[in-house]
Amino acid sequence: MTSPVTHKAPVIANPYRPSPARITSIIDLTPQEKLFELRLIDDAARDAFDFQSGQFVELSIFGVGEAPISISSAPSKQGFIELCVRDSGDVTGAMHKKRCGDIVGLRGPFGRGFPFREMKGHDILLVAGGLGIAPLKSLINHIHDDRHEFGNVTILYGSRTPSEVLFREQFDMWKHREDFDLVLTVDQPDETWTGEIGLVTKLFDQIDVDPKSTYGAICGPPVMYKYVIAEMRKKAMDVDRIYVSFERRMKCGIGKCGHCGVGHQYACIDGPVFNYWEAMNLQEAI
Amino acid sequence: MFFRVIPKHVLPDLVRGLAEQYQVVGPVAKGDVFVYAPVSDAADLRLDYDTTVLPAKRWFFPESEDLMRFRVSDNAVMEESLDTAPRVLFGLHPCDVNSLLLMDNVFLGDTPDPYYKARRDNTLIVGVSCMPNEHCFCDAWGTGETHWGFDIFLTDIGDDYYASIRSVMGADLVDRYVACRMITDEDTAAFQRRAAEFKGAFSNDLDTSQLPVLLDAKFDSDIWDRLGEKCLGCGACSMVCPTCYCFDVHDELDADQLHGVRVRTWDSCQFKQFAAVAHGQNFRDTRASRVKYRYYHKQWGYLSKFERVLCVGCGRCTRACKAQISPPRVVRALQTGMVD
Repeated sequence: MTSPVTHKAPVIANPYRPSPARITSIIDLTPQEKLFELRLIDDAARDAFDFQSGQFVELSIFGVGEAPISISSAPSKQGFIELCVRDSGDVTGAMHKKRCGDIVGLRGPFGRGFPFREMKGHDILLVAGGLGIAPLKSLINHIHDDRHEFGNVTILYGSRTPSEVLFREQFDMWKHREDFDLVLTVDQPDETWTGEIGLVTKLFDQIDVDPKSTYGAICGPPVMYKYVIAEMRKKAMDVDRIYVSFERRMKCGIGKCGHCGVGHQYACIDGPVFNYWEAMNLQEAI
Repeated sequence: MFFRVIPKHVLPDLVRGLAEQYQVVGPVAKGDVFVYAPVSDAADLRLDYDTTVLPAKRWFFPESEDLMRFRVSDNAVMEESLDTAPRVLFGLHPCDVNSLLLMDNVFLGDTPDPYYKARRDNTLIVGVSCMPNEHCFCDAWGTGETHWGFDIFLTDIGDDYYASIRSVMGADLVDRYVACRMITDEDTAAFQRRAAEFKGAFSNDLDTSQLPVLLDAKFDSDIWDRLGEKCLGCGACSMVCPTCYCFDVHDELDADQLHGVRVRTWDSCQFKQFAAVAHGQNFRDTRASRVKYRYYHKQWGYLSKFERVLCVGCGRCTRACKAQISPPRVVRALQTGMVD
């Protein structure tokens, strides 16, 4: 019998191949978080990068690995992608060492985002805790760009301490805007803090919600969801108009590696954004 | 589908013919077990095997494979290539043929996996009938027979094989390499007798009805704690499973730290870090939650997407588990509320 010949072929379309992206700006937001602006180098990849708020990318640093990061910029911002990255692991740690002009890799966008089109014409209530502001920031900016298409927009954002408040400069400016009701709260204030004190759920006492016309969106640490949803339900909001975004270990982004399983779904293709009706029917979700 | 009858004594002609163009991989003896391995002599092929230690998935989705070579400085891909060696898997049982169809749903779906697809496209499948051993429960899922997913399927009817031919390639190969004949009614009657014998040979009588309901309704049952206490967390069940497809990806740097290779390896939801995310959060922190997830995903998660359970009843995990956790035992625990 003849011995087999080794056959090799190039890979034409490879969903695991990251596209090189150049870091065009780095802003230190807090001691742990930086906001990176990235630009895909390849023209075709840049043109094809069409995303929704709530979707994520795989940030790929060869030699270290990949990490799923939600997109913080709005889809209306053309040509650039913003990622808010907390230094909390190998890949994010390596990212924090990068400088402007360095090249990293991106795969994506992946997943199901917020239903922006359906949200139009309605009031919006956004609730963020900690780094959960990162994906909601994309939605906030997108709403901002189409502000006339929405009713009242309320943003409740809770952080542990004043130094951990993300996007603080922008939010400080926004405090004076009439078209966004923005309330910031911290658990542990310092002497400079002039905003609210306590958990984000406490802020529900001071807001009015029209349950027939409001979409909710929540993103924060896992422990937060149940309490915020309870507050929204107290305001009589419908279960299928409350949207939550889940953090899981999305590794491949394309529903194959299995790491982001949540109940019978995968966060990377079925989520990471689910409405509460879907989430209620998902084991391990909330 | 059309059919031929191939006398058993001429089957080596088919194997030898295939070997002219393909790497032939099939069940061979290794000590007192069988493994799928390249076959250099048709006489080594053991179509009387009961099962193999590892399933056929490794010929499409190897336990470790290089995805791409990279350069660190500018995060560039230097080289990526696909394995397109023409290969034939000769002698898969129906459960293993079915397992590949279940893998296809994941790896060839909306976003095809190019590495898996290249191997799948370049591999012929020749199936062979079997008789159940004491661990087999394919009858519970209907995966003891297959009508898709093979080029040729050989059913043992005594001195001959009743060959079902599913593809143009399969038809060409049979016509070219073996002296075969058309089927007669008697051959089909022999095929039916064989099928009935197979059906009657199962020792398990596993009731798998209503599993999605039981999995959800008993999600908080203490049967999972009992099973979790037994589980060793070794992941052997996933490694030997023909339908477990989860993987991990990691980077290996060359000694110069300038280049390296991104490698994909098999992974298991039974490993503690599988569902861990940054800042110390682990969505499945206990063995109980991990054992439960394996069954929850196989009998409900996958089913909810592809309308089939992610198990073919091959019994490999039953043999591999040092803690005697097996699908039949877990299904019985779900039904009775007690771990036997």
